[in-house]
Order: sequence, then structure tokens, then C-alpha cells
Amino acid sequence: MIRHGSRRWLIAALVAAFAVSWFSTRFNQYYLGIAIDVGINIILAVSLNLINGHTGQFSLGHAGFMAVGGFTAAKLTLLYGESLYPFSLIVGGIMAALAGLLVGIPSLRCKGDYLAIVTLGFGEIIRVIFQNSQFFGAATGLTGIAKLTTFFWAWGIAAVTIYVIAGLVNSTYGRGFLCVHDDEVAASAMGINPLRYKVTAFVIGAFFAGIAGALYAHHKRVLQPDGFNFIKSIDIVVMVILGGMGRTAGVVVAAIILTLLPEVLRSFASYRMIIYSLLIIGLMMGRPQGLFVWPIFKKNAKN
Amino acid sequence: MTSPASSSSLLQMANCTIRFGGLTAVSELNLSIGQRELVGLIGPNGAGKTTVFNLITGVYQPTSGQINFEDKSTARLNPHQLTRRGIARTFQNIRLFASLSVFDNVRAATQLHRAHGIRDALWRGRSFHDSEKTVETEVMELLEVFQLGKHRDKLAVSLPYGDQRRLEIVRALATRPKLLLLDEPAAGMNPTEKVELMKLIQFIEEKYQISVLLVEHDMQVVMGICRRIIVLDYGVKIAEGNPEEVRKNPKVIEAYLGEEPV
Repeated sequence: MIRHGSRRWLIAALVAAFAVSWFSTRFNQYYLGIAIDVGINIILAVSLNLINGHTGQFSLGHAGFMAVGGFTAAKLTLLYGESLYPFSLIVGGIMAALAGLLVGIPSLRCKGDYLAIVTLGFGEIIRVIFQNSQFFGAATGLTGIAKLTTFFWAWGIAAVTIYVIAGLVNSTYGRGFLCVHDDEVAASAMGINPLRYKVTAFVIGAFFAGIAGALYAHHKRVLQPDGFNFIKSIDIVVMVILGGMGRTAGVVVAAIILTLLPEVLRSFASYRMIIYSLLIIGLMMGRPQGLFVWPIFKKNAKN
Repeated sequence: MTSPASSSSLLQMANCTIRFGGLTAVSELNLSIGQRELVGLIGPNGAGKTTVFNLITGVYQPTSGQINFEDKSTARLNPHQLTRRGIARTFQNIRLFASLSVFDNVRAATQLHRAHGIRDALWRGRSFHDSEKTVETEVMELLEVFQLGKHRDKLAVSLPYGDQRRLEIVRALATRPKLLLLDEPAAGMNPTEKVELMKLIQFIEEKYQISVLLVEHDMQVVMGICRRIIVLDYGVKIAEGNPEEVRKNPKVIEAYLGEEPV
């Protein structure tokens, strides 16, 4: 899907995001807010797709990584001023990546369901740590965070995430992730180190989840540890599964649909979540292989 | 003819034993493979042939004994490190990468010989494209040699059985091994396919000048191409020699056909 022009494509996406952002004051602020939500969810879903989809390591800890990035970045701008915002995004990402390294190590020993439970436990531990840490505002969390996430930041970083992860996987190096997903024994017999790939996937996935958390913090302006419970992780997992494990384009579309759906259903008031759940069940039954699995992607999956 | 022609041996197993709990799967095995040698390893079901493979490739560590590859110990090395050193294998039940195309299956196996890593994959500069081009040429050459070029974009698992077996061998060759281990490559093949396989293995040995260790059930295949054969039974080496010697060895006959009633 990504070919020679992939860098040009990235620059075009960044310019487009910047242009939209330039005129963002003219848009309805409610819709703009949702658009930023969509961007953040794309980052989350695409980065989780590297771990769950491409590498085949079922992780339920993505909300945990997001929390690490969010709290780190929010605390930074609260303490040292708004000008640190871009820096805080990166620091949030790095802290989450370190957390990813920490989870990646037990992932060397566990597989499948066991790994899912380990990562689930990890996500909950992170949440509880923030809940009990006075420095991060304990259960009330952090408030009064400056609103700094614009359309440009959310969608620009979403474009970078897609570029990085699709670019990585669509290279000879990145084929290793898919090999580990398909058959670890055969992969190691081909000179591919499965452990190394798994940890790499966790670290990169967590890095972008951390950035998404930082964007989220400066978008919602309030951070509560409760917002990063495992339901949040499941939401992201659903985007990945619905989009088709390991299909970047499908996952992007799924992230967009699943963010917009609850908003569209707002008029149904209290029936909203029931309809939302029914739609997901229906989609899963109709398209178990993922919504957007087109054979053409498989055929062109070379460069 | 009975001993390896070249004095420099590529692989040497000395007194290798492996136990799983109370079961001794391989006992005190001595085995050596010379440069450019085609050796067969045979034995009845459960004789420990695949375990020998797993010992050589580092999947298992021997309980006792020593394995040397190119005069260096392989102890505590992982399978991927041994592949880097030059040992490649195929599997008894085909283990292709199911979600990848034929081309990508082979391409993935070429990467251990290149310096290209994450940074190149992201920056996508000239060196990245050059190196990806080299890989493509290399992979396509290999595929063409084994008549798989026309299938390059098909899913590996959608190929017919015989082609899948062949692709697994091609994938192993893409790691540029010095020693190729084939685990029952003739399993599930019909007689015509077996004849083709024998030609293929001989062709590989000649073209790539490598050593091959062949585990096989099928006597016809082993006797047809191996100059030296090792026979295992219950984890013990019961015979070694050229096909004629092995065929006449009473212990081998007993292991395969049972004892002759007196």
C-alpha cells in the first residue's frame, strides 16, 4: 500500500492537517472536538494493530500506556508551562515506551490468552498507581490542563503513526513481525529473533499510545485514572478486530466509524449503548475477517 | 566410502544424550557430517530422528554431550543464532508463514544477511530502496530456480502440497546455510513426486555446495541419494554406513521388520 512516494504522502497529509487546522476556528467546535477524538483513536488503533494485528501478541493494556503518556505530558505542561507542549508529547511517548518495554519482557514468556491476562493486569496496575499517587492528583486526577491539542496535532500525528507502522511492516525488516505472528518456531528457524520483534512491537505501540494519551489530556483538559480502565483498552481492541487484524487501512476506517457511531446515536439517548453494541455484534457476525479486508492488499503487499 | 571423504567435518555431535523426564529420547549419539556431504538419518517411528534435528538446531539443549558446528560449540545458542551461523531446516509438518505470499516467505528469510533495520525502513532513503531491490532480485532468482517464480504473489498456503514442500526448502536456502536439515521432505508425496524430490535434493547439494542431513521414513528416497546412512532405533545409533551395508545389516532389518522367527 505504501510505496516509493510514501514520504511525499506523509508530507501531503501533514500539510492538509495543518491547512484544516488553520481554519479550525470557523468550524463548529463540537464537530471539531469529535474530529480530534477520531484522530486520537486512529493513533491508538493503528499502534495497537502493530502489537495485536501484525505481531499477533494479544495485548489488553493499551489504555495503560495511554495513561502513562497522558499523565506524564499533562503534569509537564501544568508544572512548566504550555510552551513545553510538543516536548511533553514526546516525553509522554517515551515514558509509555519504557512501560511497553516492561510489559514486553513478560510477553517473552507468555502466549495468547496468558499474555492477554498479563497485559490486562499491567493496565490495571498503572491505573491503580495513578489513582493512589498524590502527585498525579489521586482519584480526582489532573484538572485545568491547557487546551493545546489542535486538529493539526491530532491528525498530523495520526499520519505519522500510519506512516511509521505501515512503513515498518512493509519492508523486509518488518516482514519479521508477520512471521512472528504466523509461526514463531519457523521464524526462529529462519534467523528471525521472535523475542526481539515482540519487544520492539510493544515499545513502538506503547510509544504512540503514550502520545495519543498526551494529545487526549490536552484535548479533554481533564484526566481521571478511571478513564483508562480496561473498558478503554477493549474499545481499542474492538477497533483493531473490526478493521481486520493487521490491516492498517481497515483499522483506520474502523477507528473513524467506531468514534463517530456513539455520536451519531446520541439522539437515541439511553438506548445508545445497546444499539452500539448490537451494531458491533452484527458487524462481527457479518464480517468476522474484518470490515475492510480486500484481497488486493494481500496481492500488493510487497513494498 | 563409509567415512566422510573430507577430514574437515562441518557438524560433530559427541555423546549427545537428551532426556525428557524418565524418557531418554536420544542416547550417547555420535554423529558427524562433512563438508558437502549428503547424509541420511533413518529409523522407525519414535526413534528420535526429529529430536536429533531439534538438538542440532538449538530447539533443545542436550542433557549431556557436545555439539560443534564448524569446530565451535553450539551450546546455549538459540535457533535464530544457529541459523545465522549456517544451519537451516525444514519441518516435518510444513510450517510456512500462512499470511504471507510465496515471495514474502522467502524474503523474510533473507533478512539475516543484511544490515538494514528499523531506521532504514522508516527513512526510506536510497540505500533502503537499493537494498530492497537486491533482496527482490535474490528472492526471484531463487524462486525461478525452483520453478516457483510464477506463484510469487500467491499465498504460500494456497500452493499444492508438493510446491509447499519445495517452497519450504527454498525458504531455508534463502538463509544461505552451510548445512541444510530436511525433516521428512517426502512425507505425503506420491512416487512421482518422490523421484522429483530426490533429483531436487541432489541438485541443491551440487548447485549450492552445501551439506544436507536428511531425515526420512521412505527407504527408497534415502537409499537413492545418500552416500552415508545413519540408523536410529529407540534413540540409539544401531548402524552406519553406505546404503548397501545398511540394507544388509541384521539390526536394521530387525528394527524395521521385527525379528525373524527361528
